[in-house]
Amino acid sequence: MKLLTKTTLYFATLSLFLFFIMGIIFFQVLKNISLSELNREMAEIREAVDLQLDKEWATRPPRIIGIDSLTIQLVSASSTMEEKYGDTLMIDPESDQFKTYRYLEYFQKLEEGNVKVRIYKSTTPTDKLVEQVTLMMTMMVILFLSGVFFMNRFVFANLWKDFFEALEKLRKFDTVKEPVVLGDQDIEEFKELKAVLEKMTRRLSSDYKELREYTDHTTHELQTPLAVIKTKIELLLQSENLGPDEMQLIQSINTSVDHLSRLNSTLALITRIENQQFPEKNEIHLVRLVDHHLEMLQELIEIRNISVVRSYKDTHRTICMDQGLADVMITNLLKNAIVHNVDGGKITLDISSEAFTIGNEGPQLEFGEEELFRKFVRSRSNKGSFGLGLSLVKKICEAYGIGHSYSYVDNQHLFTFTLSC
Amino acid sequence: MQILIVEDELALMESMVSYLEMEGFKCEQATSYHDGLCALDKHDYLCMLFDLNLPDGDGLDLVKLAKENQNSSGIVIISARNELEERVKGLELGADDYLVKPFHLSELVARIHSVARRTRTQGEEIMSFGLIRVMPEERKCFVEEKPVDLTRKEMDLLLYLMANRNRVITKESIADFLWGEYGGGYGSYDFIYTHLKNLRRKLMEVDCPDYVQNIYGVGYKFSLE
Repeated sequence: MKLLTKTTLYFATLSLFLFFIMGIIFFQVLKNISLSELNREMAEIREAVDLQLDKEWATRPPRIIGIDSLTIQLVSASSTMEEKYGDTLMIDPESDQFKTYRYLEYFQKLEEGNVKVRIYKSTTPTDKLVEQVTLMMTMMVILFLSGVFFMNRFVFANLWKDFFEALEKLRKFDTVKEPVVLGDQDIEEFKELKAVLEKMTRRLSSDYKELREYTDHTTHELQTPLAVIKTKIELLLQSENLGPDEMQLIQSINTSVDHLSRLNSTLALITRIENQQFPEKNEIHLVRLVDHHLEMLQELIEIRNISVVRSYKDTHRTICMDQGLADVMITNLLKNAIVHNVDGGKITLDISSEAFTIGNEGPQLEFGEEELFRKFVRSRSNKGSFGLGLSLVKKICEAYGIGHSYSYVDNQHLFTFTLSC
Repeated sequence: MQILIVEDELALMESMVSYLEMEGFKCEQATSYHDGLCALDKHDYLCMLFDLNLPDGDGLDLVKLAKENQNSSGIVIISARNELEERVKGLELGADDYLVKPFHLSELVARIHSVARRTRTQGEEIMSFGLIRVMPEERKCFVEEKPVDLTRKEMDLLLYLMANRNRVITKESIADFLWGEYGGGYGSYDFIYTHLKNLRRKLMEVDCPDYVQNIYGVGYKFSLE
């Protein structure tokens, strides 16, 4: 949820609640005032009625202005009670409809006995008044709220402009690129934010750069001593007087050096991809690329009795990337599919205009899916690999915006690469 | 059989010289760009090996000059940089091969032989070892006039063994030579064994003695003994 939406929501909820309460109170108060006003008017009318009331009341009823209806009836002497106000419905002679009336009922002693007097007064005018005033108030509230709402938006957009700008720059921030530089701020908090962000990204960028340079140099500088060790071992192997034990020792050194040198060259390649040292882009014919590497790995495939199932829906699909990296990516994927396959298993290759999928049979992963593309993650059963192949593939994908995903369906490990360009 | 080596890392230079001299090559050593430049005209070399990262100059310039001076010599670049552009640039300037550090000495020798074959000999050269005679260009193999039908990989393997005769060759170097980037570690030693077994069987079928010795799990040795 956006900051603005959230603020607006809080504000709207609170103000609607407050206005609702206030509205109810206001309505009640207004209603009470108008009611007591009506009652007061009727009390005045009563005085006028009492003045005119005499024994002739049946033939000569009192004539009073401002009264809607008046009933006087004779009641037995015993029935006396206090005056009382009440509401009732009556047919309005003008409109022929039921309308609400307020009445005042009281008993009056005359010479011939007690009479019950009822004074009626229509509540329609006061109701109308309350209605009008309430309507006015509601409209004012709506107007006020929408005003505040729009002002909020405007103020928000203006005040937080720098913040959003900083956010956007941070979002685009890449350790490979320059540190973030933000515009001048006049709000204290944003000034602080700017300082902190700039310092942080500067630090990140320089750290990353140093690390890259360090890795780059190390991997490069390691090549020569490795070459020396390797050649010395080979020379040593040529000595005439080596027994089997010495040979075994030399062999294990040799294996380790070999391991180290392959590890080093792979890491060097990853570093170079991270350093974006592959600016060249070639149009590469995907089917041709895959088939070429498949042929080169044919022996590996045959020796494990693996069958290859190819389904190429789009045989003309090309991808735009460095030729060397494309080779590295496909070889690594194919090797991965061969090495982690079961004997007599199968490899499926799928090329369509949207995606390239490579699948191989094999038992479930010993680690989480999310670990799969990380460096140095490998299954315990595979001693020969370093677990760098897939992280290399991932780096290449990232460099060219190729989407990569993994799934495990029907004993098959499926790697899908979505092609965009 | 002169070979020029331009390499600034002395320990590496020593190794190469020792191994190549065992193979019967004579080596001219240069440890800098300047020395290399001076050495270019000294002899008519069979093959020249250039390191690209020299303290006082770019090995690629030496490659260019060498190509202009001695057109019939083979040129092999030895570099720590395994980059496609670098490779392409070197080969475009006239290098015949590109070897990435760290490499196997046995592979270096095989490459020198192969480069020398391509650049030096006019007409068909015949390599022989014991009863085996190989015509590398036509990819034919005979044992005492009897032809032996070899696959591409078996032929490569045989040439590699012959180039490094009487030497202990590690399994790793064979894997790297035969498969390059495609080999590497897992499983590739299994098919060296398979190929070697097939090669030995085919040679022995035509009454050729078994020249291949197994060296204690380290590798193999191709010798007459």
